[in-house]
Amino acid sequence: MVKAVKPKKAAKSGAISGATRKRIAEEMQKFPQKRGALLEALHLVQEELGCIAPETARELAEIFEMRAVEVMEVVSFYNMFHAAPQGRHHVHVCTNLPCSLRGGRSLLRRLEEHLGIRAGETTPDGRITLGREECLGACAYAPMLRIGDTYHENLGVELAKKLLDSLE
Amino acid sequence: MTVRITVDGAAYEVEEGRTLLQALDDLGVLMNGVEVPHYCWHPKLSIDGSCRLCQVEVEGVPKLQIACDTRVTDGMVVHTKSERVRKAREGVMELLLVNHPLDCPICDQAGECKLQDYAFEYGVQHSRSREPRRALEKRVELGPTIVLDQERCILCRRCVRFCREVPGTGELVVENRGDRSVIAAFPGAPLDNDYSMNVADICPVGALTTKDFRFKMRVWFLDELPGVCTGCSAGCNIHAGVANNRVYRYVPRRNDAVNETWICDAGRMSYREIGSASRIHHPQVRGADGRLTAAGLGDALAVAAARLRAAIEGGGAEAVAVLASPHATNEDLLALRRFLAALGAPPESAGVAVPTGASDDLLLREEKAANAFGARALGFGGADAVIERVRSGAARVLLALGHDILAPAHLRGDVSALALLDGVILLDTHRSALERIAHVVFPARHALEKLGTLTNAAGRVQRVQPVVEPAFAAWSEGEILLRLGEALALPGFEEPAAWDPHAVSKSLGEELPAFAGIDVDSVGHEGLPLRGESA
Amino acid sequence: MGLKVPHTTNYLTEHFGDDGFVSLKGYEAQGGYEAARKALTRMQPEKLIELVKDSGLQGRGGAGFPTGLKWSFMPKDEDRPRFLVCNADESEPGSFKDRILLERGPHQLIEGILIAAWAVGAEKTFLYIRGEYSEPARVMQQAIAEAGESGYLGQGAMGTNFSHEVVLVRGGGAYICGEETGLLESLEGKKGQPRKKPPYPAEFGAFGMPTTVNNVETFCHVPHIVRRGAEWFRGIGTEKSPGTTIFGVSGHVVRPGLYELPLGTSLEQIVFGHAGGVPGGREIKGVIPGGMSMPILPAAELDVPMANESLRERQTMLGTGGIMVMDDTTCMVRVGCVIAHFFRDESCGQCTQCREGTGWMEKILNRIERGAGEEGDLEILLDVSAKMEGATICAFADAAAWPIQGLLRHFRDDFEMHLRHHRCPFHEGFRL
Ligand SMILES: Cc1cc2nc3c(=O)[nH]c(=O)nc-3n(C[C@H](O)[C@H](O)[C@H](O)COP(=O)(O)O)c2cc1C
Ligand code: SF4
Ligand code: SF4
Ligand code: SF4
Ligand code: FES
Repeated sequence: MVKAVKPKKAAKSGAISGATRKRIAEEMQKFPQKRGALLEALHLVQEELGCIAPETARELAEIFEMRAVEVMEVVSFYNMFHAAPQGRHHVHVCTNLPCSLRGGRSLLRRLEEHLGIRAGETTPDGRITLGREECLGACAYAPMLRIGDTYHENLGVELAKKLLDSLE
Repeated sequence: MTVRITVDGAAYEVEEGRTLLQALDDLGVLMNGVEVPHYCWHPKLSIDGSCRLCQVEVEGVPKLQIACDTRVTDGMVVHTKSERVRKAREGVMELLLVNHPLDCPICDQAGECKLQDYAFEYGVQHSRSREPRRALEKRVELGPTIVLDQERCILCRRCVRFCREVPGTGELVVENRGDRSVIAAFPGAPLDNDYSMNVADICPVGALTTKDFRFKMRVWFLDELPGVCTGCSAGCNIHAGVANNRVYRYVPRRNDAVNETWICDAGRMSYREIGSASRIHHPQVRGADGRLTAAGLGDALAVAAARLRAAIEGGGAEAVAVLASPHATNEDLLALRRFLAALGAPPESAGVAVPTGASDDLLLREEKAANAFGARALGFGGADAVIERVRSGAARVLLALGHDILAPAHLRGDVSALALLDGVILLDTHRSALERIAHVVFPARHALEKLGTLTNAAGRVQRVQPVVEPAFAAWSEGEILLRLGEALALPGFEEPAAWDPHAVSKSLGEELPAFAGIDVDSVGHEGLPLRGESA
Repeated sequence: MGLKVPHTTNYLTEHFGDDGFVSLKGYEAQGGYEAARKALTRMQPEKLIELVKDSGLQGRGGAGFPTGLKWSFMPKDEDRPRFLVCNADESEPGSFKDRILLERGPHQLIEGILIAAWAVGAEKTFLYIRGEYSEPARVMQQAIAEAGESGYLGQGAMGTNFSHEVVLVRGGGAYICGEETGLLESLEGKKGQPRKKPPYPAEFGAFGMPTTVNNVETFCHVPHIVRRGAEWFRGIGTEKSPGTTIFGVSGHVVRPGLYELPLGTSLEQIVFGHAGGVPGGREIKGVIPGGMSMPILPAAELDVPMANESLRERQTMLGTGGIMVMDDTTCMVRVGCVIAHFFRDESCGQCTQCREGTGWMEKILNRIERGAGEEGDLEILLDVSAKMEGATICAFADAAAWPIQGLLRHFRDDFEMHLRHHRCPFHEGFRL
């Protein structure tokens, strides 16, 4: 069984926990300007809350003494940050050229059929968000996909389906 | 320190450390002899360098360089018309048009759109792309004053930089990335600051429009006439957009010594005062029934003169309380000075009340009148001494230019102190509580309906000229005072004379040393500082 | 050309099979940190920079800039804090060498960083790892902690009065953050939009301070150069491109993977000798030699030595050494579509040509692939790509234009067949 990595259940929805705030404060110490810790903070907060919703952006803006709109623009720029809730598991299939040459795209299509959703969508039960992704640095081990933090390489279609089925 | 550069064969001496576009702008030749089209660069905003349109050829540098971010060096030789430059421009233009909607016929910016202009100028009127255009939101309300059409936006980021750098409010960002980029504000934190509407002026295309002006009038029907905002004593330079003898909008007119390229929203909207329904439309006289009724100018002058004469006969010049207007021109106020002198009263015996309001470090001044500084420079005193003379009963008649005395600092709108006077003679543009108790009312022209000068808070004398002709009979205060002097046969007013603001303006310098050499015909469109003022 | 192949041709990856090498102990057992000790205790920074200049080491991040020269750009006699940035954003499609260097040789990287820090007088290194590299980040974080505990990093490194700290920074997933000034912006907590240059990072880098940016692999070569000398290094590879690099081979080959080989090794030898050639007895059609930004080479040009000087003659570049092999079933229009999609997706969107040109190219290519291509499309494609070249804030737009130009240069027939038959003539391979 592969355990859900995100989103963890937040004690109070939308609120950044004290523990995360503490970690953000520690990260800030490492940079000449505290804003340097923003990307790390976005990772930490997203791990905790599942996404960076506008109210979360506002909270972060307070912590970083910046404008909420600037947090929003940063969130919107990067592939890994989401302003809206995602499925419990985020499955990314690499469809870039090296993977495509070895079946990355057909893998994605088979998984779309298997889950009954298109890339970019979330299963109705909120279990899986399926995404296509650019090169993940696993070119020799294609096809591959990433579930949360973990890479799964040299994947056949059947194996990949089993993997998805095992997600809670 | 200066350096010498050559642009298209012409030699220029420019300040060291400037970029090419800044240097050309300093020289006044940018887009005025030297054509370097540009979108993201704006003279009063930080350098962005992203539109890539301003590429020029610099001798000795293999790649084309963007003129907005290339610093001048001594001996630099620049070409803006070479084949390579032309091709590069065409390339950028064509790419900008790939996704641009073919909206011109329904676009408010048509006629003042830099995309349209350059596309025409550089011969790329559409791109060769046959692909479907990017579909985005056509109407996003960024805030109470501004609407965004995402499809028209060319992502020059001028609006983003403006909000960060000028009002410092930073409401706008570019959201997303690549070809999904759009201008956006945070949910619940709209574009809403005292200068927000400037973004519509600096937007080079029709992506940002003001709700106020949207769809009201095609810009090519507008005459853009130079003027000065009368919203406060900053004296921001504007162009009044006029069609059919009506002002449709104000837009900022660049004056680096005053307002750079900006105006505040309140000032921008103050154009509505000109055509306002609350303008005073005719001379009025209070009849035996106690009601104000419309009258001819002659009748009004006769009644006013009679009241004044009676007061003077009873108590001398002391019996006439006079309020100067901080909205009137220097020329009007000089006429008032002469009127007072003819009565034998010093200028400081007349008071000037100045309405006040919010101010900031940017443009907005506390004094909400265009010529408050000028009124003081002409020697008028404070308003409270005048009120005191009314309260004490020493004054029997009030001659008021404007109704600013009603302001919270003075009468707080309560005219009861004036009710016992034998006469209230009012020269004013707009209706007020003062009008309601006046015995004689003369309709005055708005500053943008007459020729003259205004002195801003920094002591800069700036020219106004009639941008519209009032649709009703109205006179500048100076002319009414001239006629009143004649009706009273005051010394110096014996010979009937035409009201000639040019001549009056010339004599400002004769009577007040600070105005030496400064008059409506010499200040030009950018004004001149009063002698002794640094502005 | 004179390719020299001395005894050690895999000094970077020699011990990567050994799990223990990841730990500090294991690394020390192989002579780890001795080069750093030598540099910090016995070499003046200027000497060190001279040594790296003499070695001829060129950056392995894609541009091939001489490393010693880059280090010498850091301003002297200034008391502003100065920083080093290790670029571990590795996002160039076809490249996966930095990942292995991070995962299998973390201390080799830290040692290289420490030596470079001493050379340029940096107090801190920001190790910027692409956000998707969780495992490499975990390994590096642990190694940084270990190195700190053992006195290699932190106050008074190795008993000297030099102090250095390595701060790991996770990216957020954006290819453009590999471009060094995009990276700097991202490091500062902003969108990763490349900066206009000048000013260059050595003058105005991370947080406005003098900064040197190097690729992971570039740092990893440094301890070996310090240990064995410039001459030894120049004895490997070609005269103009010394040393080894780690070639990543992917696509239609029998043994895809990473191969550390001297620069100048022929493409043919890598693809056939090392990666085992194309499976199923098929023929090679084309090979992208240096990551997706680099123009493709046709099968007939596989004799090319993999070094910048020789690849430039074939109108392509070494880039990151990511080699993508395509067999004769591959539709080059589809390849173009995939490439164009990537660059359209990843453009930061500041520059007109890049934001609009990448999308336009993608749309044309997709249309051709669908069979709806029209006469003149190829000319427009070439023209758009030319308009994108050399005129933008960063080299991304060039990187987006070149591969499409390469495809049209060598495989124009594929495109014309699509135009003629109004459909894709290839039945196998990958669907879009
Ligand atoms: C679009 C683009 C993407 C890049 N991506 C990377 C990257 O992922 N990793 C990297 O080390 N360098 C990358 N570079 C090169 C860097 O800008 C920079 O030249 C390099 O990190 C310098 O290190 P080096 O001198 O050691 O090669 C990229 C450049 C461009 C233009
Ligand atoms: S809305 Fe206008 S000013 Fe703002 S980025 Fe778009 S084109 Fe530029
Ligand atoms: S600052 Fe004053 S003068 Fe300027 S636009 Fe506003 S109201 Fe008018
Ligand atoms: S070339 Fe492309 S990626 Fe680079 S700065 Fe310009 S728009 Fe961004
Ligand atoms: S004006 Fe120079 S790049 Fe836009």
